[in-house]
Amino acid sequence: METKGLGKSIVGVWSTRTIVAVAIGAALFGVLMNYGGIPVFTNTSLTTAMIVPVVVGAMYGALPAAVAAGVGNVIADLIGGWGLWFDWSVGNLVAGCFVGLGAYMLMRKFDAKNVIVYIVLVVLGNGLAFGVVTPILTAIFYGSELNVTFIQAIWGSLSNILVEAVIGIPVIYMLAKRTSARTNLEEE
Amino acid sequence: MNNKLVINYTPGPTMLHKLTGFTKVFLFLVMSAAIISTFDIRLLVPLLIINLIEIISMKPDYKPIVVMFTITFFTVTVVGNIMLFFVSPGVGLTNVGAEHVIWRLNEKLYISKEFLWYIFVFFIKRTASFASVIAFALATTPSEFASGLNKCGLNYKICTIVSLAYRTIPDIASDFINIRNSMMMRGVELSKKASIGKRLKNTVLILVPLIFTAFGKVGNIANAMDLRGYGKHKKRTWYAEHELTRWDPVIRGLTILLLGLTLYYIIRYRIIDPYPVDYWCPWVAREEIEQVSSIDTLFIIKWIKNLRGE
Repeated sequence: METKGLGKSIVGVWSTRTIVAVAIGAALFGVLMNYGGIPVFTNTSLTTAMIVPVVVGAMYGALPAAVAAGVGNVIADLIGGWGLWFDWSVGNLVAGCFVGLGAYMLMRKFDAKNVIVYIVLVVLGNGLAFGVVTPILTAIFYGSELNVTFIQAIWGSLSNILVEAVIGIPVIYMLAKRTSARTNLEEE
Repeated sequence: MNNKLVINYTPGPTMLHKLTGFTKVFLFLVMSAAIISTFDIRLLVPLLIINLIEIISMKPDYKPIVVMFTITFFTVTVVGNIMLFFVSPGVGLTNVGAEHVIWRLNEKLYISKEFLWYIFVFFIKRTASFASVIAFALATTPSEFASGLNKCGLNYKICTIVSLAYRTIPDIASDFINIRNSMMMRGVELSKKASIGKRLKNTVLILVPLIFTAFGKVGNIANAMDLRGYGKHKKRTWYAEHELTRWDPVIRGLTILLLGLTLYYIIRYRIIDPYPVDYWCPWVAREEIEQVSSIDTLFIIKWIKNLRGE
């Protein structure tokens, strides 16, 4: 039972609804990546795009969240004018998978234990994705300066973790409340 | 905002526009692989020129492209290189293989000829990548993109995700602008006048309605697709995939040639007989190159070495 539940939360349910939701999530990711930054200092901003894997993951599971983040990053590259940097897309895919898993579990049961699991998964996912996967791919394929990549990766991870924790948890809470309110209505 | 986007939704009149989706996707993938595979300016400049010719031949509206290029130039190239100068001015030595200092501030900060060469080549590489993306985005409609990807062997459900996402971007962008403007009218402050904590909280106020509007469409679209029998069969055909034009075989042939040359280059010059450093440079002869592992210059490794007293 336990393993079956975990398997389902990782792979997700791939119905037409999921496909459309992942597509809209990817588009939202692209838009937020380009226009939805919160300015912090000059030229640095917290990107709010990482809220997308949280929402998609909460509703459909980890793999849909990962695909939404990965495809979303490719789309953001296409409309943003940076050129194609698939090292970051793969990084976002990995991070999206972890974040989505945490969000899915938190959405099913909103309690203190799952909040801690969610935060651990968020930190782990971002650390693995932007601390390991992206720098390795960057070094192999793009030959960017590693020090700069690491600084960008550390900044990116920290801002993602902040957005996913501070904005993500209230958003999941609202989503959970909304869906439970709806199911109550249907039962009447 | 929408006029800032370079997305093409209607098939255009020129030769490149009329090609089938598969030809465009194939060309784009091979072109990206070719640009990624090399740091040699003798190859990057021709690749850049090919992409510029493609863009010019489509007679696009240059305004959004220039705006995009300028923004990226300042945020990525200028700021990135200033950061690079402060973080690791020795990048010329590790990547080009020599160091001729032309200006020195102190022990740690200096500019060498090779540092400037590295910046220049990396800028060309970035611009070539930018040009290939723009050329592809100008030529391809979302449906052609999806049908081309499907013909490359990708599962059609993933292709639908790509095309649907690509297609809904203007809607979501305008939703985002509407919600942000109406929230700002109500006095929700997002600029630097508010503290960071306040800005985060205000962003939630914008994101929650945006998420509900965007994902509220999911039910409608999914039902419409289900009603038309989406996902019943293992394969599907594409409305956008049409018969080959006269130019399709030519462009496909050239793309296969480019693929062959890229593979030859990778095997011959990066695996069998690799150049000692990544960046070829006209004034550094091969025999004089000093090899420095870029791992040794990582600041994390330097810190660890300092801590261990080495």
